[in-house]
Amino acid sequence: MKLVRRVLQLAAIFGVAVALLAGPALAQGRLIVASGTDAVTLDAHYITDSPSATVAEHVIEPLFELTPDGRIVPNLAESYEVSADGLTWTLHLRKGVRFHDGTPFNAEAVKYNLERILDPANAVTFRFLISPITTVEVVDEYTVRFTTDAPFAPILAHLTHSAIGMQSPAAIERYGEDYARNPVGTGPFKFKEWQRQDYILLERNPDYWGGTPDIDEIMFRVVPEDGARMLMVQTGEAHVAVRVPPDMVSLLERDPNVNVVFTPSVRTIYIGFNTYQRADQPKNPFTDVRVRQAFNYAVDNEAINEFILGGMGRPSDAPIAPGIFGYTAIGGYEYNPAKARQLLAEAGYPNGFRVQFYSPAGRYLKDLEVAEAVQAQLSEVGIQAEIVTLEWAAYLAATNMPADENVVPMFMLGWGTVTGDADYGLYPLFHSSQWVPTGSNRAFYSNPRVDELLDLARTTPDDAVRLAAYQEAMEIIMADAPWLFLHAETQITAIRSNVEGVIIHPTERVIAGGARIR
Amino acid sequence: MSQYVLRRLALVLPVLLGVSIVVFAMVRMIPGDPARIMAGEAATQETVEMIRERLGLNKHPVVQYFIFLENLVRGDLGRSTMSRLPVLDEIKHTLPSTIQLAVAAMAIATLIGVTTGVLSAVKPNSWVDAVSMFIALVGVSMPVFWLGLMLMLLFSLHLGWFPTAGSGTWRHLVLPSITLGLSSAAIIARMTRSSMLEVLRQDYVRTARAKGVPERLVVLRHALRNALIPVVTVTGLQFGNLLGGAVLTETVFAWPGIGRLMVGAITARDYPVVQGSVLTVALGFILINLVVDVLYAYIDPTIRYD
Amino acid sequence: MGNAVDARAGAGPAPETTRAGAPWRDVLRRLARNRLAMLGLAIIVLFVALAVLAPWIAPHDPLRSSFGKRLQGPSSEHWLGNDELGRDMLSRLLYGARISLRIGLISVAIGIAVGVPLGAVSAYYGGWVDLVVQRVIDVMLAFPGILLAIVLVSALGVGLENVMIAVGVVSIPVYTRLVRGSAMAVKRKEFVEAARAAGASDVVIIAKHILPNCVAPVIVQSTLQVGSSILWAAGLGFLGLGAQPPEPEWGTILSRGRQYLLVAPHITTATGVAIMLVVLGFNLLGDGLRDALDPRLRD
Repeated sequence: MKLVRRVLQLAAIFGVAVALLAGPALAQGRLIVASGTDAVTLDAHYITDSPSATVAEHVIEPLFELTPDGRIVPNLAESYEVSADGLTWTLHLRKGVRFHDGTPFNAEAVKYNLERILDPANAVTFRFLISPITTVEVVDEYTVRFTTDAPFAPILAHLTHSAIGMQSPAAIERYGEDYARNPVGTGPFKFKEWQRQDYILLERNPDYWGGTPDIDEIMFRVVPEDGARMLMVQTGEAHVAVRVPPDMVSLLERDPNVNVVFTPSVRTIYIGFNTYQRADQPKNPFTDVRVRQAFNYAVDNEAINEFILGGMGRPSDAPIAPGIFGYTAIGGYEYNPAKARQLLAEAGYPNGFRVQFYSPAGRYLKDLEVAEAVQAQLSEVGIQAEIVTLEWAAYLAATNMPADENVVPMFMLGWGTVTGDADYGLYPLFHSSQWVPTGSNRAFYSNPRVDELLDLARTTPDDAVRLAAYQEAMEIIMADAPWLFLHAETQITAIRSNVEGVIIHPTERVIAGGARIR
Repeated sequence: MSQYVLRRLALVLPVLLGVSIVVFAMVRMIPGDPARIMAGEAATQETVEMIRERLGLNKHPVVQYFIFLENLVRGDLGRSTMSRLPVLDEIKHTLPSTIQLAVAAMAIATLIGVTTGVLSAVKPNSWVDAVSMFIALVGVSMPVFWLGLMLMLLFSLHLGWFPTAGSGTWRHLVLPSITLGLSSAAIIARMTRSSMLEVLRQDYVRTARAKGVPERLVVLRHALRNALIPVVTVTGLQFGNLLGGAVLTETVFAWPGIGRLMVGAITARDYPVVQGSVLTVALGFILINLVVDVLYAYIDPTIRYD
Repeated sequence: MGNAVDARAGAGPAPETTRAGAPWRDVLRRLARNRLAMLGLAIIVLFVALAVLAPWIAPHDPLRSSFGKRLQGPSSEHWLGNDELGRDMLSRLLYGARISLRIGLISVAIGIAVGVPLGAVSAYYGGWVDLVVQRVIDVMLAFPGILLAIVLVSALGVGLENVMIAVGVVSIPVYTRLVRGSAMAVKRKEFVEAARAAGASDVVIIAKHILPNCVAPVIVQSTLQVGSSILWAAGLGFLGLGAQPPEPEWGTILSRGRQYLLVAPHITTATGVAIMLVVLGFNLLGDGLRDALDPRLRD
């Protein structure tokens, strides 16, 4: 026994020695983040995905910041005033800040950025976040004022969005189309190098207004394979690995060099029902609320969370996740197959029916497995759901068809409320003016009272009124069940134990500005 | 021969033109809208329309094709609809990594493949034959990710000899090229064995043996050369495949190659990048096939092209 | 094709004189005497039998999930363990054999049926025919398989048949190039010239004199391709082409098991070994067949 232990010890020492001799050396003061996907563009205004946003947020900053606990705090804007009618907003900017190329950050720069986003010809996706803004004027060097056509309550939350980041006007003009790979902002890190599909390197901004960062460089390495990302943190080739699969958590927790961090995400996963009755099609069962409720009763999202997601999700008790302004626990559907069968019978489907169930494959945490679990549970109440997986682009195209051409009866999707405000989490998804392809209401849901409440909550400046309106709207939505409410995701991140200060934001971004390597 | 090569080279352009038409048409036939994907799930229809306009996708496809051709003549492959970077830059970044990996993998594949193939043909049903058969079976039955992760576990996590993933140094190249090379080695080994077995039974080999030529010379000088045609064929095909089809290995090892670029572009319906990368890979295939044809004539002088 | 075929199987240079062909009976007799080939045949027969008998011999319902048994390793109740939804792996593999064997065989058949004649014609006529056919093959080779697959789904719709077609079409160029390479070496041999001088038609020459000499590489390629086709189908499954969950197709099981490789290696290993055995069976049989077709080895 002793001998065995000694041999093992020797082997371990040998292993460490070889690792030290041959192992990849980490550059001093360079933090390496292994991410699953490469950034698409680093022009903040055009970013629509979280891998790009994660990188860009170290370089480019918004006017206000959404803290990980959901508060809106000043950032490049130090303070603001809003007129009594709620239409005119005056922002006082932080003084003495310069973009990385030396261009001063001032009211002119803010005006330039907002107008670039607002110009419809520029086709900025997140224009709709600030589209109520009609004019932007420079009051003085550090004061900027904008007016909206109607009171717009979520405006500050929307100004925290990474797509509304402040970028150097001079750089945008100088680089033209090539600005996408030459981003210039005011952030703690400057852009240094981007090797597509390989890595993005940022270097410390010694003149950062918020104090110089501790680490010299951040490298975002693209490592698509889950297993490889985990191994890289274990071998020390990376300090941080994002999107750890739940099943690997126990494996990583055994490694003393690695900490596993769990952070709730603002992303909600749901199965939408197409509630629209096409004139040229036979009766659509999902037009009947009892059928939709039956599906919710038939699926045990607690069990799905526990077994498929390893308990790392959070079964939905509202259409949006906790941590978002406007969230209240409404209460989900309990697992009750008997009730589901009864509701189906009442709706005229005592023997259930066949339905096509569209699911993405590999887009969300364990999406296909969740779909298969849902399929298995639905079969218990007589529903034969036939899973259709499409590759993402085709999937998006199919679910995005206008009501009269749409052939997708039920589909799994996710929605991240990245502004931390319920307006973004409810309005585009449930307001009847937002049916696809105009907005993101893919269930073709329509309820006049919900429309009214969402409009009210969007235009009143009074937080108490907003909260009440959202609560009532969500109660109606839960009862109407245009979705099968599944769960909110949890982000699982592996971080080497000698690294401190890495923040995982609920909006699915890694913030490494304050990181320190011991 | 040189005339044949010249004629083949003259055909490169028409073939590329053919490839470009087919790809151009097909990528537009499949469902999925580049503007929608670029704008994201949250985008309004208005934004999507505007992007479509900017990308020139509202023009008739034939008009789009001629614009593409016109730019191509000027050496401009357009810009990626997703990243807005010039397609040429994207290819310049990824092609060298892919060639590196393909050459290394091919070197390993031919070395292992031809050696074990010859050895197992010389001594069929021996242990060498069994080992070579086993390598071949693993090579074709075990998916790349299985082999890749197993190698990572052993050589990166436990032994620490090679980095897990990424690129940069020669040590990054070792594990992916072994992973990629092994499946090609499989087919080359089986092909060599089969072909050698055929040749070793030929009369002239028996004659050489009867004349007392040493066995090693018989095998290497007389037999191997004559057994090479199918081996060269599959080697060429495998090499071409590695250029465009190494997506899985590139993904597992985070290798920044053209395979990932191409598949990523197909999923994102990034038309210009799909067109550019497929044309590049096509050019690679054409050149490799030309080399293979020239090698045929070199190996077997009775083969003539006219 | 008369009662005798020219069975000079071989990729290498053909012998200097034409030999009398071996009757099929002789070929089969020699094959039956080859023990390894018979082992290969036994493996194939075994897998076909398992596939056919799956509904009677599978210990569990292959679609029945049981969350509590998720990713469990082999046990006395579940010999090959359970998959990511707690389904019995053994039962899934047994049922999957029905789908995957078909994918392997039919796609190989498509590849051979189109690729082999094309290669022979290309080599035999040479010149412009060869240039044109080979350039078409260049285009096919350069064309990313995944794009072809997506095009096929949108044109033909989702279905298992389309997996077989897609994989078959993708493999055509390989056979064409293989046969062409060998045929070019054969076509100038004396016995071909002799046949031509004797007034044999092109079709007869290709069928009786050229093709039999290109059999060996085709056998090697096709026996290995049975395995790689199944892996190919895995990639297509994710594109919505073919086997849709929860159907237990081997390739799909394998690619889904990828996520659990580090925590539940039994899923990928068991499936991989199953594919490996099938490929082994076809290889042994193929090797034996090739030997049996070679008349020089007679007795």
